[in-house]
Amino acid sequence: MNDLTVPGRAASARRAPAARWRAYLPFATGGLQSLLQYRSTFVTTGVTAAAGAAVTVFLWRAVYAGSPPGGGPGGFTREGITTYLLMAQVLHILHANRVDDEVAAEVYRGDVAVMLVRPVSYPVVRLFSCLPVVAANAALVGVPVLALFAVLVPLTPPQPVDALLFLVSTLFSLLLAFLVNLLTGMTGFVTTNTWGVRMVKQSVVAFFAGQLVPLALMPRPLARVASALPFQGMVDGPLTLLLGRYEGVAGAADVLARQIGWVAGLGVLSAVLWRAALNRLEVLGG
Amino acid sequence: MTRTFRRHLRLAFFLGGVGLHRLSAYRVDFALGAGAFLVRVGLQTAVVGLVFRQVPAVGGWTYHEVLFLLGFSLLPRGLDHLFTDQLWELGRKLVQRGEFHRYLIRPVNPLFSLLSERFFHPDGLGELAVGAVLVGWSGDELGLRLTPLQWALAPLLVVCGALIHTSVKLLFASLSFWTVTSLPSMYAASQVSEFAAYPLDIYHPSLRVLLTWVLPFAFTSYVPCVYLLTGAAGLVVWLPLVTGGALALALGVWRRGIDTYEMTGS
Repeated sequence: MNDLTVPGRAASARRAPAARWRAYLPFATGGLQSLLQYRSTFVTTGVTAAAGAAVTVFLWRAVYAGSPPGGGPGGFTREGITTYLLMAQVLHILHANRVDDEVAAEVYRGDVAVMLVRPVSYPVVRLFSCLPVVAANAALVGVPVLALFAVLVPLTPPQPVDALLFLVSTLFSLLLAFLVNLLTGMTGFVTTNTWGVRMVKQSVVAFFAGQLVPLALMPRPLARVASALPFQGMVDGPLTLLLGRYEGVAGAADVLARQIGWVAGLGVLSAVLWRAALNRLEVLGG
Repeated sequence: MTRTFRRHLRLAFFLGGVGLHRLSAYRVDFALGAGAFLVRVGLQTAVVGLVFRQVPAVGGWTYHEVLFLLGFSLLPRGLDHLFTDQLWELGRKLVQRGEFHRYLIRPVNPLFSLLSERFFHPDGLGELAVGAVLVGWSGDELGLRLTPLQWALAPLLVVCGALIHTSVKLLFASLSFWTVTSLPSMYAASQVSEFAAYPLDIYHPSLRVLLTWVLPFAFTSYVPCVYLLTGAAGLVVWLPLVTGGALALALGVWRRGIDTYEMTGS
């Protein structure tokens, strides 16, 4: 199996960088086409996301019901915590790129072998084909859910600078989500029960990213563990910037630097593991 | 009538035993499934703990009362999970891949036939165990003393709750007869059932109405818990009616669905 990839990889390395990236474009448009076949999915994704947001938003609003107007626990106002939890859910929608499902399924079925014959890198193919999923989820699910809650509950509008920082940070959080899901999908090389692995990933990521409880409200030791993990950069990091909960330029730079560090680290890790997995890959049949 | 019932019961026991055999064959899969579930409930309990670090009561409910509610919500869910999770397969692929007809040609009821494919999903045991521990511990901390009537009704409350979960699942799975695959809507419904783990009092009034009378998940945990914790009968008298109605509706949709399937078949 490994022999087959060698000529392809060598050929793609020789080509000009622009041509190399162009080779991946069809995977992005292909991803979009297969997505549009099931348009009703967006409605149900929206219902699921709105329900998930409502559970945490109402739970924490009940906590902040009696808090003083200057700010309750963790320095959040009632509007502030609502904005945090709602935007956390919107980020969660953007992170649902289905990469874990698809990689696990293709490894499990052996379809990944077909990919290896092509002169492209499989992880990069996955990155490109998840781009339309993320964009469509943002436009068709994220925006309506945000609009719905903006009507129902008061929110805190962000400062222009903070909004800009948030957008930059969101791009890194998307890359982190992609890498975490890629690594989760790669467990398909080792186990057939990727359902269990994905469920653990989902709960652990949601908890340690600060999606259900902001890191500022966790007891100190737990918050320290959470901020040492890469998941913190997926939700709590971007929202720290959005709500202006950082100290000056250094504070903002720290959030972004952590994200970039984890993107680089997980990128290297998944490249190494991917190569190691291919070396011991056996595909049955055919 | 009783003879067919006895035959089905014998079959169910036999097939359930066959299902248990999988446990020894796929040990790692079982460990992963049950472990994943423990992590999920563990973190859910941690969230409740973190909420009550900030305030002594939420929506008029104390820490141990909310844990009691969370634990109780796992009991009907686990019971339903244990026996009827084969319905997910119906929503996911059985209609899409044209595999459903095999349940129609067997000499038993098609629904029984579908469920019997895998009568026992051991992951549900984890939910029941964690739920029982949470209910027992928090009930003890609250100094809860149930009356004999409450003790007698408690198992019934769990069974009715499980039947409501099953009805909602059956209804959404049956939609696949018209929409080919109904997995996304099944996910959405199961996500909505998460509301049942927290007191209904904290939600927006419209959401409360939805959870009580449209997708009646309130009757799987909130309503029984209010009765067990305070003794106030309130909504609990509606429970048999809601359970019966939900079951009747789901079975009706399922039957209509089977007819549709027969018509489209070759």
